Amino acid sequence: MADEDKRLEQIILTRLVRLNAKIQGLVTGLAAGLLIFIATNWLVLKGGRQVGPHLSLLGQFFVGYRVTFLGSLIGFAYAFVCGFIVGYSVAWMYNWIADLKEVKN
Amino acid sequence: MDPHTVVVIGAGPAGLTAAYELAKLQRRAIVLEKQDRVGGLARTENYKGFCFDIGGHRFFTKVEEVNQMWRALLGQDFLRRPRLSRIYYNRRFFYYPLRPLNAVIGLGLLRSLLIVLSYVRWQLFPHRREETFEQWVTNRFGKRLFQTFFKTYTEKVWGISCSDLRAEWAAQRIRGLSLKTALLSMFLKPKQTIKTLIEEFHYPRLGPGMMWRAVKDEIERRDCAVRLNCEVAAIRRNGNRIESVVVSNNGHDEIVQGSAFISSMPLGEFLKKLDPPPPPRVIEAAKQLRYRDLIVVCLIVKKPNLFPDNWIYVHDPEVRVGRIQNYKNWSPDMVPDPAKTSLGLEYFCTQGDDLWNTPDADFVELGKREIGRIGVADATDIEDGCVVRVPNAYPVYDTDYRRHLATVREFVDGLENFQTVGRNGLHRYNNQDHAMLTGMLAVRNLVLGEHNDLWSVNTEPDYHEEALVEESAIEEALARVFTKLDRLAFGLSLGAVSGALLFVATLWLVLKGGEVVGPNLRLLNQYFPGYSVSLWGSVIGLVYGFLSGFIGGWLFAFLRNATMFLYMVRAERKAQRGLLRRIFDYL
Ligand SMILES: Cc1cc2nc3c(=O)[nH]c(=O)nc-3n(C[C@H](O)[C@H](O)[C@H](O)COP(=O)(O)OP(=O)(O)OC[C@H]3O[C@@H](n4cnc5c(N)ncnc54)[C@H](O)[C@@H]3O)c2cc1C
Repeated sequence: MADEDKRLEQIILTRLVRLNAKIQGLVTGLAAGLLIFIATNWLVLKGGRQVGPHLSLLGQFFVGYRVTFLGSLIGFAYAFVCGFIVGYSVAWMYNWIADLKEVKN
Repeated sequence: MDPHTVVVIGAGPAGLTAAYELAKLQRRAIVLEKQDRVGGLARTENYKGFCFDIGGHRFFTKVEEVNQMWRALLGQDFLRRPRLSRIYYNRRFFYYPLRPLNAVIGLGLLRSLLIVLSYVRWQLFPHRREETFEQWVTNRFGKRLFQTFFKTYTEKVWGISCSDLRAEWAAQRIRGLSLKTALLSMFLKPKQTIKTLIEEFHYPRLGPGMMWRAVKDEIERRDCAVRLNCEVAAIRRNGNRIESVVVSNNGHDEIVQGSAFISSMPLGEFLKKLDPPPPPRVIEAAKQLRYRDLIVVCLIVKKPNLFPDNWIYVHDPEVRVGRIQNYKNWSPDMVPDPAKTSLGLEYFCTQGDDLWNTPDADFVELGKREIGRIGVADATDIEDGCVVRVPNAYPVYDTDYRRHLATVREFVDGLENFQTVGRNGLHRYNNQDHAMLTGMLAVRNLVLGEHNDLWSVNTEPDYHEEALVEESAIEEALARVFTKLDRLAFGLSLGAVSGALLFVATLWLVLKGGEVVGPNLRLLNQYFPGYSVSLWGSVIGLVYGFLSGFIGGWLFAFLRNATMFLYMVRAERKAQRGLLRRIFDYL
């Protein structure tokens, strides 16, 4: 039992955590997508003379995006894809560097 | 005498289990026991038909082989009993393990408040060094709780002040607490199984001696021998081999030869009896291994019921008794007459001190007086009593015992055909199950040529907590959750992705062109001086994006690791406190 405990302690103290790139990508993508979706619809529901003048600037990057309900769906798709790429890349690169470090040690 | 016989010294749980295993392997074994009955510290004494346990022996174990053996041997006579134990302090009873509401009611609001304040004070300003038991407990519970619920009983058991008792003792008592258990306890609520383990235990219908008598019968049925009233007076060796033992039986000396030897007698006594003796430094080290002794005053009371507990811890400093056992509540058959009750009053002492030297008759009187004073029975209702003296009940873990034990061990391990087993044979605070396990492993070493390390068979005070754990899968999961996030790797990867993102975003706007290129993204230069939405700006953006991503990622990983570490420390502390609350269960 004591050995088992030492092993766990050693793992915790010396080993590096690995990230699941797919999950990280999915989570970041979903979070980004939802953020845009909610933010867009919030402005749509609030209404007013000029709806979301700043958020609509996203259209510069996300071609076809506008601050409308349809735009929120388009924004969701764009943000999901970008978020996925970002999350996946960070995790993949992190794992790669962590592997290199552990092999070196 | 068959020279291939394995000679086993001591018919306690360890020795009997070893002989039982030998018998199962169809080896000749002979057990030599100096007393007139089997069981050792786990024997059952009988006085006028009343059965008295030495203390109270709960049967519980994590060792499956032991569990199976117990069940197979006793069948229906292996009872499952409910547990109730309380602390007597300041003329009041408190549930043990402590229950907060009950403690508050018993102590009163003011005292409880002071305890809470003292707890907070010691959490904020703990002792910097935890050298003594007092400091160790105070840092975890506060001084007042220590004084109320830990000090007096611990001092009764060990006979020294808590400020002289090393912190290591407490740390060792709960050392079986695994990090795994501690972490798990933060996630999981205790399961019913654990609750049951704490609230119930197994017990032979006629006390622990019943178990050991059954083992004796089984050994004899398989043509091996258990000889009572046979004290091993000398152990003869030739170099590193033991050849025979000299047995003293009612004044007659007899030589018993064997091919291998297993001893469960106290280590020091074993070395003293070796002929020729071991080197003086080994003898000297063995002399330093100390024990705490016990006296049990057995009283018969003319009352059918006294109190519902199996036992009561007596913390009150006004009386010298340390624990009171109510045997009828362990098993109704411990008492031959249902109209009566039998109690066992445990006095912790050291051979030669005033308690040890008190004559039996005076001891019974002392017992009667103290029982009356505590109020669990009327002194006039006590119709009879006897005294059982138990030398070497507790191996003492003092400051230097490890060093002395190492010296002794080095010598003993050099004996080729010999294994020392059990509680006092290993000077280890083993319960029955672990004593038995050492007996089993010793046989495997001698007969099957295995190399099991008996010294590492541990006392594990965390049986209850461990019931939580579904071993490797959980360990794996915990390792995954709690391992470190590498700061550099996370910083670099987040930096690289942020840099790339800003680079691409800038370039995209530049390529799109227009009258005013990227007026909004350009605002970033408020934070990134020199940045612009241009070809060159995208390169600068890449650098800035990388740097800020790196710092952000590094900081995130650092904070995540630090929080995780604090969380783990907290989890371990909390679990330690949980175990410490039940520390008296391990005495
Ligand atoms: C107060 C108290 C309460 C306890 N409570 C529990 C409990 O609740 N649950 C639990 O599982 N365990 C409990 N234990 C522990 C349990 O009693 C021991 O773990 C167990 O008895 C150890 O077995 P053993 O064979 O190693 O040693 P012992 O029981 O000490 O047996 C050693 C035997 O060797 C014999 N012997 C010694 N010298 C010689 C010699 N020279 N020649 C021949 N024979 C010799 C002795 O007479 C004895 O019979 C308790 C112990 C005490 C003292």
